Amino acid sequence: MKINILQDVLQANDRIAEENRQFFKKNHNMVLNLMSSPGAGKTSLLEKTAEKLAGKLRLGVIVGDIETTRDADRISKFNIPTIQLTTGTECHLDANMVASALPHLELDKIDILVIENVGNLVCPAEFIVGEDFKIMILSIPEGDEKPLKYPLMFHESALMLINKTDLLQYTNFNLESARANARKINPAIDIIEMSCINGTGLDEWVSWLTARYHEKLSGAGRA
Amino acid sequence: MHEMGIAQNILDIALSAADKEGASKITRINLVAGELRGIVPLQLTFCFGLVAKDTMAGGAYLNIEEVPVSGHCNDCGSDFSIKEYEYVCPTCSSTKIKVTGGTELSIRDIEIE
Repeated sequence: MKINILQDVLQANDRIAEENRQFFKKNHNMVLNLMSSPGAGKTSLLEKTAEKLAGKLRLGVIVGDIETTRDADRISKFNIPTIQLTTGTECHLDANMVASALPHLELDKIDILVIENVGNLVCPAEFIVGEDFKIMILSIPEGDEKPLKYPLMFHESALMLINKTDLLQYTNFNLESARANARKINPAIDIIEMSCINGTGLDEWVSWLTARYHEKLSGAGRA
Repeated sequence: MHEMGIAQNILDIALSAADKEGASKITRINLVAGELRGIVPLQLTFCFGLVAKDTMAGGAYLNIEEVPVSGHCNDCGSDFSIKEYEYVCPTCSSTKIKVTGGTELSIRDIEIE
């Protein structure tokens, strides 16, 4: 006997993500799901962002790693509320894991909450966690063809940060190809070239972040 | 390796539906998986076999229907399939494309005894 089901496989995740979203809305949080390969510079970006936003907007961080609290230790030095989730064997954060962190954060004292996902270019893009935007980092040593090899993440992201541009001279990475490859997958993606080492692009990134935050607060929002 | 989590979700949904029908065995699950979801069928069937073992879905055949990416052009209105992630309208070359297929991941139906 055949039974029709027509149910999204990740419906359970999506329902919890929606609950998270309502929670964030109530607390006026703008929430970013930050994704990249391991070592692309997610934690360095958050350190720089914390410096830049100090005294302007209040940052909070949920950081996912398979093991250790090293990333949380680095970020909490900036007096930013930080919750570390160690996922064990899981290669991504899902809505339920994020929900488990929320009671430990004073969300009403946070303007921008960044969820630093597990370093991985595939799985994190599959799971919504209640974010306003997915954003990602592509770093120079990874090569400019990554958007074509891992299309879902580039397709889902509102912004691609091309990090470690200070290393360009040592590689055959082509910025124009990287931009073209990403726009081929996602014509609407915003792109910022940056370096956490020499500070290139950080102001542009902070402007992007601030603009999205004010759009969210005013209820304008983008797509 | 997101296949393990997905396999568990598929099993949970199938078991709950089969329970409601008073079934004793699930023999087949028909899954629709969009190309953009990056599912590796061999890996998913392997993971499903592991999680389903010792349940009434043990030994069930997981049929994965892969859906290619398709798009709709917001400029000229044509519908087309997107190959090699080329998000460009083949008719008018516009890049204002809305993805209309290839992101789904759902269970269409199951077969029970």
